Amino acid sequence: MAESAASVRVAACGCITPFGDAPASHAALLRGECALRPVGVLGRDGGDAVPLALVPGRSLDETAPPDWLAALRRLHGSIPEGRWGSPGSPVFVTGSNFGVGGLYALRRTGDGAFAAWGALPTCTERLRLDLGWGPDVSIVSHACVSAHLGLILASRVIGAGLADEALVLSFDFLSPFVAGGFHALKILNSDFPAPYRERDSGAIGLGDGAGFAVLSRERGDWTLSGQSLYNEMHHFTSNRADGSGFARCLDPVAGVARGRKVWFKGHGTGTLEAGRLEVGAARRAFPGAPVVGWKGSLGHTLGSCGLVELAIAIESVRTGRTPGTIGGAGSAMSDSVALESFGNREFDGVVCASNAFGGAHAAFLLGHA
Amino acid sequence: MLERNIQALVTDDPGEETPAEVRNRLKGRFPPGATRRMTILGLMVGRALSELDPREDDSIIYASGYAESGALEGFLDSFPAPSPTLFQTSIHPSAVQQLMIGRQAPVGELLPHSGGPLFAFHALRAALLSPAARALVCGGEERGTWLLEHGLASGRAFAFAASLSRERGPRDLGRMRLIRDDGDGQLGLAAWFDLLHGRTPFSGVIAPGWRMEIEWH
Repeated sequence: MAESAASVRVAACGCITPFGDAPASHAALLRGECALRPVGVLGRDGGDAVPLALVPGRSLDETAPPDWLAALRRLHGSIPEGRWGSPGSPVFVTGSNFGVGGLYALRRTGDGAFAAWGALPTCTERLRLDLGWGPDVSIVSHACVSAHLGLILASRVIGAGLADEALVLSFDFLSPFVAGGFHALKILNSDFPAPYRERDSGAIGLGDGAGFAVLSRERGDWTLSGQSLYNEMHHFTSNRADGSGFARCLDPVAGVARGRKVWFKGHGTGTLEAGRLEVGAARRAFPGAPVVGWKGSLGHTLGSCGLVELAIAIESVRTGRTPGTIGGAGSAMSDSVALESFGNREFDGVVCASNAFGGAHAAFLLGHA
Repeated sequence: MLERNIQALVTDDPGEETPAEVRNRLKGRFPPGATRRMTILGLMVGRALSELDPREDDSIIYASGYAESGALEGFLDSFPAPSPTLFQTSIHPSAVQQLMIGRQAPVGELLPHSGGPLFAFHALRAALLSPAARALVCGGEERGTWLLEHGLASGRAFAFAASLSRERGPRDLGRMRLIRDDGDGQLGLAAWFDLLHGRTPFSGVIAPGWRMEIEWH
């Protein structure tokens, strides 16, 4: 597939994970810390203990108003001031969960207070008013590639001259709704994830996460280029066995990365087949590039993962040190998988990739402006 | 000004049809056995989109505010033993995936939107900025039950799919454009659908600073 949007600059970027902001999250990953803890999959309703990474002070059980709002307001406080949501400064809100935790609580308790933030439009409108944005707020939701789609759409608006800057905000906070759903699919279980490691069975962990990026035509130290999308449409929860979906998405990124020495920030949730396919495709598209995945520590932050991990990738480049792949033991799926942290001063680009249900793939190249 | 030509348009306004009646009406449009797990929105959007014969190099812009309300309600009702099938079919943008996975039809670009008062503007802007030669804009809503009582689902079912092309063709139905404007206004998804369903000419401000024009040949 062709490159999906012209190159754009990143004027600001940040995230929140259970470790804190991007510098704190990056530092914790360098120390090899794991934010995942065993938590009852249905919160106060119990169930199997599964690996979840919650922002400190937050419970898996929904509150009204949602307790994740405090974390999101903190993150919003770090976004440069602007006339966000005005015609020249559009906002793209992305995620996969929005307020679904409220729907679960509404159904369990019948308390109408949980409805206020429940659906995508109502949740986003509440958020818009709470954060003081104007009306130009797009809502984009495509499971775990949601953040990438927001970046592409914002890039196009800037590229077409419709705006000088755009804000992309992505958030996903856990609830029994989403934990129960992944548990029902049996990929969230009592095992902790071990991304890109050979083992008998795969497992994922889930994490709270939110991130933002301010994209700009002229301002910023970083560029996003080669933004690419591909949807296999082979199966809801698995990929084509030949790995062609991964390759189709990475081809345009490889094109813009030609001649550069890159490292590869993969999706790496901890599922086996997807992990092997991703590592294989990365090795073919970017020979010699070390592959890292951070979801063994942060958990899978779902629709926000593209922005959360972009913020940590930028922090890695800024500090000159890339955290290795955290989680589990045993042999890596390939010698290209970097299990330990490494110095990255000799590299001049980072490929950031995410995947989602339906065989959806998204990737881009992060570089210095 | 952003502009594309309307190559083809399919709309479905089931009115007061029940979900069972919609399912019965549309099941013949899909391969035998394929519809058993499809949602009502998946059937309606899938049927409309299928008539445009989506290709791998198309850009699909999907618009639904509340998406799979029925699957969502069913998934929530399935606790404390949540249904894996209802979980995956409740996730945005399941309606498009139900069709495309059934067809084993990959597509490069799928841009699923939800939205509110400016929904028509956001979906149309995404379509008009797509680099693909054909942008397929599709979407709709299905009627909720207990979620609707809380204002968390649509009270109306409808679906549409339109093929928007950069190049003019002899069989074009019309043209859609976005033009800068000093005015203020809004247009939600259902109101946009009504304009398309009725082939209604339109010129009005649908977002702060933006006018939409629809011409029909």
